[in-house]
Amino acid sequence: MIEINNITKKYSKDTVLDVLKLDIPDGQTFGLVGNNGAGKTTLFSCLLDLVKPTTGKITNNGVDVKESEEWKKFTTAFLDESFLIGYLLPEEYFYFIGELRGLRKKQIDDFLLKFEEFFNGEIIGKKKYLRDLSKGNQKKAGIVAALIGDPKVVVLDEPFANLDPSTQIRLKQIIKELSSSGTTVLVSSHDLQDVTEVCKRIVLLEKGKVINDINTSNKTLSELESYFKS
Amino acid sequence: MFLKFTYLQWKSFFRGEDIGVNVLTKVFKWFWIIYFTIMAPMLGFLTVIVFREDGEVDPFPLLNKNLIYVLIYLVVIRYFIQKVPVISVRPLLLSPISKSKIVRYALNKTIFSFYNVVVILYLIFLNIALISDIFDEYELQVVSTSFYDLIGWNLMLISLIYITNYLNFLLDKKDKLVYIIGAILASVKALEYYEIVDLTEYTQPLFYAFYTYPFLSIAPICLLIYLYVYVFKFFRKGLYIDSSLKPKIETSNVENFEWVDRFGDMAVFIKNDIRLIKRSKRARGTVTGGAFVLLYGFLFYLVPDWYEFFQFFGYMFVSGGFLFLFGSFVPSWDSQYYSLMMCQNIPYINYIKSKWMLVVIATALSTLLGCIIYSFVGLNAVCAVLAGGLYNIGANGYLTLWAGAYTKTPIDLNSAQNPFGDTKAINAKTLLISIPQMILPIALFGICNNYYGWLTGCAAVASIGILGILLKNVVFELILKAYKSEKYSTLKAYSKN
Repeated sequence: MIEINNITKKYSKDTVLDVLKLDIPDGQTFGLVGNNGAGKTTLFSCLLDLVKPTTGKITNNGVDVKESEEWKKFTTAFLDESFLIGYLLPEEYFYFIGELRGLRKKQIDDFLLKFEEFFNGEIIGKKKYLRDLSKGNQKKAGIVAALIGDPKVVVLDEPFANLDPSTQIRLKQIIKELSSSGTTVLVSSHDLQDVTEVCKRIVLLEKGKVINDINTSNKTLSELESYFKS
Repeated sequence: MFLKFTYLQWKSFFRGEDIGVNVLTKVFKWFWIIYFTIMAPMLGFLTVIVFREDGEVDPFPLLNKNLIYVLIYLVVIRYFIQKVPVISVRPLLLSPISKSKIVRYALNKTIFSFYNVVVILYLIFLNIALISDIFDEYELQVVSTSFYDLIGWNLMLISLIYITNYLNFLLDKKDKLVYIIGAILASVKALEYYEIVDLTEYTQPLFYAFYTYPFLSIAPICLLIYLYVYVFKFFRKGLYIDSSLKPKIETSNVENFEWVDRFGDMAVFIKNDIRLIKRSKRARGTVTGGAFVLLYGFLFYLVPDWYEFFQFFGYMFVSGGFLFLFGSFVPSWDSQYYSLMMCQNIPYINYIKSKWMLVVIATALSTLLGCIIYSFVGLNAVCAVLAGGLYNIGANGYLTLWAGAYTKTPIDLNSAQNPFGDTKAINAKTLLISIPQMILPIALFGICNNYYGWLTGCAAVASIGILGILLKNVVFELILKAYKSEKYSTLKAYSKN
């Protein structure tokens, strides 16, 4: 369970985030939508203790993220390219993350086998450093790294952007599988169709505030579209 | 146009992250610039005294004899330290400024670069020393009596200074070539030292000829003009994002460095840092520069009349190359993926400890090498290197790490591959913390040495180092606090990468 209480973030006078109360139960696939500057990334950053909120408290499975580092044991994330280590080969990057999560090389190799299709032969064994991969392939590596070591909470910022269509479809499949195995997945996206397809719950942010909190149904997509049209 | 570019740079400085730190480092940069501008003339005078063979009264022949080394040294030093001017050229490509102007700006800017100005300043004072009669009391008899006699010789030198300057543009991507030049320099010097072949026998008359026949200086001037045009054309042609502005793509096999695993928890980070040093040109260059520092002690060995605490400084610095050049950029080396590091399943303290461990390993290795290199100088030198090494591990390592908590300049690991994309000329921050790091032990040594002798001085400095090593856990708590309180602003600054 992730509890967000009274979180605000102000830069001088501008309030970029102002969320009163948001509880995300275990195993939920949670989608965050909103225009640029709505505060999606800031909210995720607060959850990961990368940005210090001006007020409020976030607890991740009982751990106050500002006070303790314990949440790092069961939480993973891929927000942007600053989560990649450019001078590593993808394999080395996976080993690095895996070792930090207490896995052995063999276990990591086995884990990676499951993503052969997702990688489409463009990541493993190419001898190319992450910095030299295309944006889309970098993203694939980053997302898979965030899944290493059975995390309880996975945070992905804009995971569908920059991916080719086949990979997008495979990624949706992967996220659905995660949620059925009880992992809490937090996703943000600009693409309304993508989020409505994978998320059980969608929260609409605007100018830092929660505008709408919907349990996904058949009508959700048209509801969201009509909101953004106006 | 020159002004407009300068204006852009001015803005990039004042709008940079953490302007306070920036201004402070600028102040210290100026301190060092002034320091060098005072040192250069002093060295100019000093040269005349040093380059005087026993029994000879004229320093000029010996000066010419060593000129070849000075030039090769200039090439190598420039390669490692002098960076071709900062200019973010990619966005300019689409602006209505002709490509020739962009390249010309980058080339002309270096005319006034610090490295050139200092050398020329030195040259001016060398001239004054050569022609004036202030050395009469040393019973020196200098060949020339007027500036006019030296015109040809000076023109030749100035041309050569700028030839090495523009050569640096071409050498920028050619690591191997520079290592070869460095190796040739070392072997030539060795051949001379062991009196097998003396190359300078041939180069000395060559340089001397410019004094005897001033008109010969036309040759180096023509060479300089030719080189300038060549470099201009080279970059003018390469100003495309898929040629000289395109980073080179390297490939590699998976490297696991299993031998590092013995370092336990920290192994996984140390492995990454080794990969960083191997694969990022920026890091590699820094570490190579650090290796050159091993030879620093010779600077003081060659001039035996220095004060003893100066000699000690030289020996102490020997083991600090990696610490001062690489260590002081911790954690900026990780700036590009700092948020990843902050989200991983590791306590912050282990991350910091791993960095410390890396510095300790490198410093211990440098100390060992230093002891071997300077063993032929004598016991005093070895003890000084050892004491310096211990102090560097037990005190300076912490200081550097602690200062690192306030380092908020991101390092772009990938861009160091082309001359137009690199940042930083003189690294002012490195020099800034080196002041408290150096003055304290040298003062301590100076006092002990004065009253109780060299070895006691070494022992005093070494004991501080040992004390520091013993207090490791206490010190780490303090360092951790600094890192934790700076975490958010560091992340913010790094995200502007």
